[in-house]
Amino acid sequence: MTRVNTVLGPIAAQQLGFTSIHEHIGYGMPGSELDTRWWKTPEQRYEETIPKLRAFAEHGGQTFVDATGICNGRDIDYYQSIAEKTGVNIIAATGFVGGDTALKHFAEASVEYLTDQFVHELTVGIGTSGGKAGIIKVGVSRGFKLTALDLRIYRAAARASLATGAPIITHLAVDAATAIEALQDEGLPLTRVLFGHADDGVSQGKVDEEGIVSAGGRIGFDTFGYDLELPDPPFWGRHRDERFQHLMRYLRSGQADKVLVAADANCSPLGWPGVKGHTINYLFEQLIPDLRQDGVDDATIDQLFIGNVADFFTTSTPDTLNSEGK
Amino acid sequence: MSAQVNTVLGPIGADELGVVAIHEALLSVVPGAQFAYDITIDRAEIFDILASKLRAFKAAGGGTIVDRTGMFHGRDLPLYEALSRSTGVHIVASTGMGPEENLGGYFLTPQTNPPTPWPAERFAELFAAEATDGMVHPRVARRAPAGLIVTTQSSDGATPTDDSLLRGAALAATRSGVALAFSAPSDTIRALELALAEGLPADRIVVSGLDRAGTGATVRATARAVAKRGAYIALDHIGRVDAGSPSDDDRAALVLALVDAGHGARILLSAGAVGVAKGHAEVNSAYEVVLTDFAPKLAAHGLDEDGIRRILIDNPRDLLAVKEA
Ligand SMILES: [Zn+2]
Repeated sequence: MTRVNTVLGPIAAQQLGFTSIHEHIGYGMPGSELDTRWWKTPEQRYEETIPKLRAFAEHGGQTFVDATGICNGRDIDYYQSIAEKTGVNIIAATGFVGGDTALKHFAEASVEYLTDQFVHELTVGIGTSGGKAGIIKVGVSRGFKLTALDLRIYRAAARASLATGAPIITHLAVDAATAIEALQDEGLPLTRVLFGHADDGVSQGKVDEEGIVSAGGRIGFDTFGYDLELPDPPFWGRHRDERFQHLMRYLRSGQADKVLVAADANCSPLGWPGVKGHTINYLFEQLIPDLRQDGVDDATIDQLFIGNVADFFTTSTPDTLNSEGK
Repeated sequence: MSAQVNTVLGPIGADELGVVAIHEALLSVVPGAQFAYDITIDRAEIFDILASKLRAFKAAGGGTIVDRTGMFHGRDLPLYEALSRSTGVHIVASTGMGPEENLGGYFLTPQTNPPTPWPAERFAELFAAEATDGMVHPRVARRAPAGLIVTTQSSDGATPTDDSLLRGAALAATRSGVALAFSAPSDTIRALELALAEGLPADRIVVSGLDRAGTGATVRATARAVAKRGAYIALDHIGRVDAGSPSDDDRAALVLALVDAGHGARILLSAGAVGVAKGHAEVNSAYEVVLTDFAPKLAAHGLDEDGIRRILIDNPRDLLAVKEA
């Protein structure tokens, strides 16, 4: 049995069901909490969040992976209340969106210390919430190149993944060769790693997809919905059809098992305005109808959102964790 | 109405401050340490430790503690309010941030393309709002306005963002009437000129940390240069003998020399103590060390009671009094 930590406790990988692998309840850069322009009342935060998750559940969504790392407004007891009241499983992340978002205490820490931090959050808990992380977040700092700090975080994530069986998701898939080298040097099978945002507008031409796939890594089509067709798209936006065709190339070439799909939307952004008109439910309201219209069958859609996710959480789980629940 | 000082419990008359420790830390948390798996922040325990240190300060004759850690280094306003109420010590909390390494990514790599760090003007808005509308209890509410605006430049040389912070802090001080305190170990006078260039009068500026390192002679040269421009000099490591720092006798001699040179109205003294440290080493120093150890030393060096009183009470009173805009 594979145990996957949600914020309300472990569930079997088989119970994950329809999962969006990269989302945010609310994301804000560290320090944004000091700027009152972004503040929202708790009433407003629940009001912006609950209807989106209810719609997600009504569409058939079951699990929400929150990719908000340490220092970015991650708020476990808030997630616990939301998960409990909506019935949606929420999986929290340990790790960092990138070196840019690691505050001084962690920016100056060793790989060993960062490993201990991640393992603690995956096995003991996050802060005083009692909730444990179920996934590890790493990423590339601004500038499309892994910094020394980014790489310390990648190495620590690899060690924590090997120790606990939790998979890794990355923010950005650029500079993949450097990432792969560090992760392999730590002995981590690359099937444990989702190279995220390979589909965003600013990364095109900068992602070595072949290198990632041939090393065993997974490709993240996880910014679905950040379309340039939106009234006020973000700088990482991309034309809807271009992203869609990019995904279709994987599906048509029999590589559906190599990809994971998500929307990377904020239910209620914390330190930025968010992107109007973009929610997690793009997956149901736009993407899945588009896939069906293009002739993609339900089995493939299930594979993208159910089978691949279960596989991602299951492969290479250490025996210690496997035996724990028996 | 007489001049007012912003404390965590709201404005009070400047004459009520008594003896002021101008550069201290209550709870000091390295940014991020609050999320560390191996650091516990037990606010009941922290309250007890700080309350006993504040009571010792008061018993020695102290009246007001200025927490000089700024807005992003553990500042806990509800805690400070309760501490002030229960100990009777006035607490002045500060706004501001720095050096760059202490900042969050929100200010350094914002979600814009390119990720341009914040310019001085935006820091000015952030800090001035804290000094006029109230300091933030993050994502919850504003509380009382800040009584001091602080920043620090990197010890190995100011970064462009360090300079934006300093200029923004100076602008915020100009607009709010709340004084600016900064330390700039690598090039103090350059930093002072930068602050003055924003239109902030020299008598609204404290240059701190001057006695942290260096020999008596180098510290004296910098202090004289600062005083000549009319800014305050804070000797805020009183009682500390770190490797490479001046001794308290050096510090006392410096105070006397500055007084003799006519700069007695520009001297401030403090211990630079840290009540509770999280994520960095404890500083073994008491808030009251200026009163218990250093004031007698100044007397022994020949400073009369009026001169000592002026430095411990009158100078910080004048500095902390919010200037009418
Ligand atoms: Zn994301």
